[in-house]
Amino acid sequence: MEKRLGLSNNGASNSNSNIRGLQIFIADLRSSQQSQEQERRIQAELSKIKQQFTSSRKKSDSSNKLAGYQRKKYVSKLAYIYITSNTTKLSDILFGLDEMVELLKSNVFSEKYMAYMTLEILYEHQEVVNRVDDLVTAQLVKDLAGSNDDTVALALNFIGVVGRLKNGLAYNDDVITEVFQIIRSPTAAEHLKKKAALSFLTLLKTNIDILTGDLQRQNHWIQRILSLLDDSQNYRLLLSVLPLIEFIARYVNPSQCVRLIPQLTQILYKCLIGGTSQLAETQFPAEYMFANVPNPWLITKLVSLLSVLIISRSEISENRAGLLQASNIDTDNLGKLRLCVSKAIELGTRDVSDPMERIVQNTILFSLINFASKLDPTEEALSNSATALCSLLISSETNIRYLALDSLVKLCAISEKTVIDSVCKKNLNLICRLLNNEKDQSILRKLVDLLYSFTNVDNVKIIVNHLLKFILTSRTISDNKMKRDISVKIAVLTEKYATDTNWFVEISLKLLSISSNATNNDDLIWERLSQIVVNNPQLHKITCEQLVDYLNNNNTSETIIATGAFLIGEYANLITEKISIGELFNLFTDKYFIVSNTTKCMILTTMIKLYKFAPEIGSAVIKFFQLELNSLDIELQTRSYEYLKIIQISNSIGNKALLDTLFSGMPSFNSRTNPLLRRLGNLPDSSVNNNSSLWLKVNKSEASLAGSPERRDESSSSVQNSTSPLSSMSSNNGIAPAPPLSRSRSRMNSNVTSPIKNNGINDSYYSRQNLSSNWREGFTRSISHRQGILYSSSLIKILYRITNPDIQQMSILQVSLTFINQTEWEMSGFNTETISYQLQDSPSYIIQNVESLSSTSIMPHKRIEQKFNITIRKPFEVEKSVIFNSHFKCGGSVQFLSLKIGIGMTSTLVNNVEQPGMTLPEYIGRWRQLREGLGNDGEYQLVVRPKKSGAQDLSSSLIQIMKRLGFQVVEQDSISNTVFASGIIHTKSTGNYGCLVKLKSAISSDGDSREIEITCRTTSAGSLSKYVVDCINYAL
Amino acid sequence: MAIQFIICLNKQGTVRLVRWYEQLDSNEDTQRYISNMYRLISARDHKNQSNFIESFTDKTKLVYKRYAGLYFIMGIDLADEESIYLSNIHLFVEVLDSFFGNVCELDIVFNFYKAYMVMDEMFIGGELQEMSKDVLLERLGNMDRLD
Repeated sequence: MEKRLGLSNNGASNSNSNIRGLQIFIADLRSSQQSQEQERRIQAELSKIKQQFTSSRKKSDSSNKLAGYQRKKYVSKLAYIYITSNTTKLSDILFGLDEMVELLKSNVFSEKYMAYMTLEILYEHQEVVNRVDDLVTAQLVKDLAGSNDDTVALALNFIGVVGRLKNGLAYNDDVITEVFQIIRSPTAAEHLKKKAALSFLTLLKTNIDILTGDLQRQNHWIQRILSLLDDSQNYRLLLSVLPLIEFIARYVNPSQCVRLIPQLTQILYKCLIGGTSQLAETQFPAEYMFANVPNPWLITKLVSLLSVLIISRSEISENRAGLLQASNIDTDNLGKLRLCVSKAIELGTRDVSDPMERIVQNTILFSLINFASKLDPTEEALSNSATALCSLLISSETNIRYLALDSLVKLCAISEKTVIDSVCKKNLNLICRLLNNEKDQSILRKLVDLLYSFTNVDNVKIIVNHLLKFILTSRTISDNKMKRDISVKIAVLTEKYATDTNWFVEISLKLLSISSNATNNDDLIWERLSQIVVNNPQLHKITCEQLVDYLNNNNTSETIIATGAFLIGEYANLITEKISIGELFNLFTDKYFIVSNTTKCMILTTMIKLYKFAPEIGSAVIKFFQLELNSLDIELQTRSYEYLKIIQISNSIGNKALLDTLFSGMPSFNSRTNPLLRRLGNLPDSSVNNNSSLWLKVNKSEASLAGSPERRDESSSSVQNSTSPLSSMSSNNGIAPAPPLSRSRSRMNSNVTSPIKNNGINDSYYSRQNLSSNWREGFTRSISHRQGILYSSSLIKILYRITNPDIQQMSILQVSLTFINQTEWEMSGFNTETISYQLQDSPSYIIQNVESLSSTSIMPHKRIEQKFNITIRKPFEVEKSVIFNSHFKCGGSVQFLSLKIGIGMTSTLVNNVEQPGMTLPEYIGRWRQLREGLGNDGEYQLVVRPKKSGAQDLSSSLIQIMKRLGFQVVEQDSISNTVFASGIIHTKSTGNYGCLVKLKSAISSDGDSREIEITCRTTSAGSLSKYVVDCINYAL
Repeated sequence: MAIQFIICLNKQGTVRLVRWYEQLDSNEDTQRYISNMYRLISARDHKNQSNFIESFTDKTKLVYKRYAGLYFIMGIDLADEESIYLSNIHLFVEVLDSFFGNVCELDIVFNFYKAYMVMDEMFIGGELQEMSKDVLLERLGNMDRLD
């Protein structure tokens, strides 16, 4: 227990700030052996503290009030009880909250510190926030504005710690302004500025509207923040300011930050080149060094910001407005940056003995190598980077091997193939050897990723053989998931690079034969193989022949049987030289009894196909089906019955026309993208983009598909999904792809009729609601903002927050409402009611899990809360959103409010700023695709005049609005005055819909105002586009 | 882009320090989250495995290091580079060590409020605010001496 963490043994920091009472209490608790004894001790202490607190409250005489030290001691004991009970005793210590607030007002530093610290720990609990937040915030603002630097520091820390946990601070103008004042103040102490910059970042992350809500403020404030960099000698301040600027560059206004590139380059150059120079005068101040190398924190932060500001060649197509491309950086600075990269390589491959120093210099190496790709690197520079990384692969330190691999995988993904190939060829043996010896699972994973990313036509055989051998023999990989992942990668690689068809078939079948149990991935692999074989006639025969060999083996896997059942059923006539149809029938009869029902179904189909090829086996087939008429499984029974009937009908009419039509040859599959690609996990994108060599052959035969009958086996349905537009966007989130067009269209049709049917609702409870006079403001706001004020009057303020409790189910929304009493009187008898538009006949949305109010009365300036969930089942108009009524008594009169909360189709969009959006060409492609698929059915257009005029830059405010709604906006500047946005609408019952929106702004025909033309296309033919446009119109 | 949380656990899995800079998903139970983390980390082979756990959840990876009986763990974003956070942990432990004078778990138990003081002087909103040990120790010393 008393083991030292073992770093140094400097003198102790001992001071008079220790609290004896607390130390004794902790020692007491630790010495009690039994938990009962501990519990008794805690309870005794609690009641003592409670008594002290209450008696001090009763005595009005100020001299008898609790002394500050006493209060601090009791609060610290409460904090310890909370910590040591692992937060379970939260409710036991809540009585002390008021005293904590009291302690917060103290002018003694250690007392104020104790109060802030305890509240920081407790603020993760909503009940604590609800009870004291107003008082705490008031004191916080006072402390921020105060003149005592130590107090200001505590207040800034508090914001930095709880700012993201509790949203109120980021919406409190006083807090925001005070923090910003410190940033801009020329006289504020340096350590306060550092804290203020990061606290401000915390607020901004929580509420980006602080800067995006007001363009004028944005320009002004960003300028102020950027000017903090002007003092480039001050590396300390830099460290805190850089993350703030990076956030602004990423999410608020990149173009304002681009001008920093020369300045940042200069600092980076000084750090790296100056910091490693032997010349004294250029040397970096010693205190900015860490473990004998230039400061890694500063360097990683600089590089991280530069990476945002400079875009690489591959990113140009994404048309990211306002960012700079390497070719536009002046040669001087570009040269400096490149020099930094080579310096980092030199540094990173240097031999040092201290492990910490090594990790630090590698940090610099990895950070700069990852950045190098942005600098239009020469082939030589790239291969230098790769060589440096490869040399680290044999490091004895696991961390370094891990990080080197991580960088290599990234490097391979972005570089020209030829460069990396030449380097990796030299190291292929090394990497394969590592694969066999490595013990760390995550490193293994990276090795596999690396091998995957530099596989090409030349080395595919070697690499695939290694990987196959690895999953067959390795004892290190215990989890099946990894085996499955590698199998998928092998399948993709063989398809993508195989030039030798025999080899392709051989490997694919071997892969299937080793799968121990049928899993989802294995299904994908055999389905994909079947598609490729069907589409490539030259594979029909050899695949079936090899399948027969596998099937003759008694231990063959079920996936092989399934593949065999499908393919041999199709092409049995091609292999009659090897095996007769009768023998095939016997072979499948044997296998039939050892497989699952799904595969049994397939074998039944195989049987009738065999019969089609050779009617002479008829009696055996009929007997077989007859036997299965008694099957317990309804599907097997039905199939047997149907097939039996088909044979009977064929026999009675005397020809095979019916059989031949029903079981005619499989048409080519039409899916260009390999569904397996989605299973690759988090590999960098570009390495998986290439089209497969085998698949290209399919496109030629696509024409023949047009007239083919709608005949699809089970295997094809999953593949069909991947062709529906936009599904690739959703798949990254692990969300189910949009339903195929044909299905969603028929569903929508039934949906379109529902409003007509519901006309009777005019008389419903919903329509009889009398909404409060200014309900519209909150309604409109809640459509466009996820949180804010729903209603505000002199009596009451209602705040709302709309969240997605389960990221997997975006169709479920949670609404949290907070009611704040604005008066000096108690509000009592509070009750609320939620009303949905429709309760029966398959409603569009349903309200669930309505929690009861946290209290039915609200004391003056206090708040209560309520939450409920809304499940969106299918598209609906935002006007039909939830109505929320509240009744309460205040100051003797009864108040009634009826408000509508704006939950619309756009509320189900995934609001994910991290994810890269589409490029313009992709967008246009999808736009056309939708047009071709649905014609005018899926489109809706509306021309509006924006209510808020006057903003100089309409496009950028439109982008903000769309992003706020949750759309992804295509970054482009080639078409001005137009904003392209996309998103996925989620519903519970009718699935997800892709949605594209185009906003075009123009001067109206009468010439004196602006007009916006909103056009929306969705993957649904119904009114969904109109519903979406309505929501956008409200948000404008 | 930043540290999501800092957690310090002892070998038995008892939480000694915990600070959340980001809110956990509302359906995530804090206790369960921490005990999952403990189970994963304590089961790892510290000789042959790295100090990184790549996908702890779908938005968090872990960087951790064991010092005697204590695990220091940071949760970071998936896009972050791991190695700098390992240096962050090391710096944090070095400062704790100098501040308490050869720190041990008991120091952190008895002086939990001072340990938090060290943490808050180093990290705000999930970002490191000062990297010089001397500057940090001077400031901490001043705060410690204040009434």
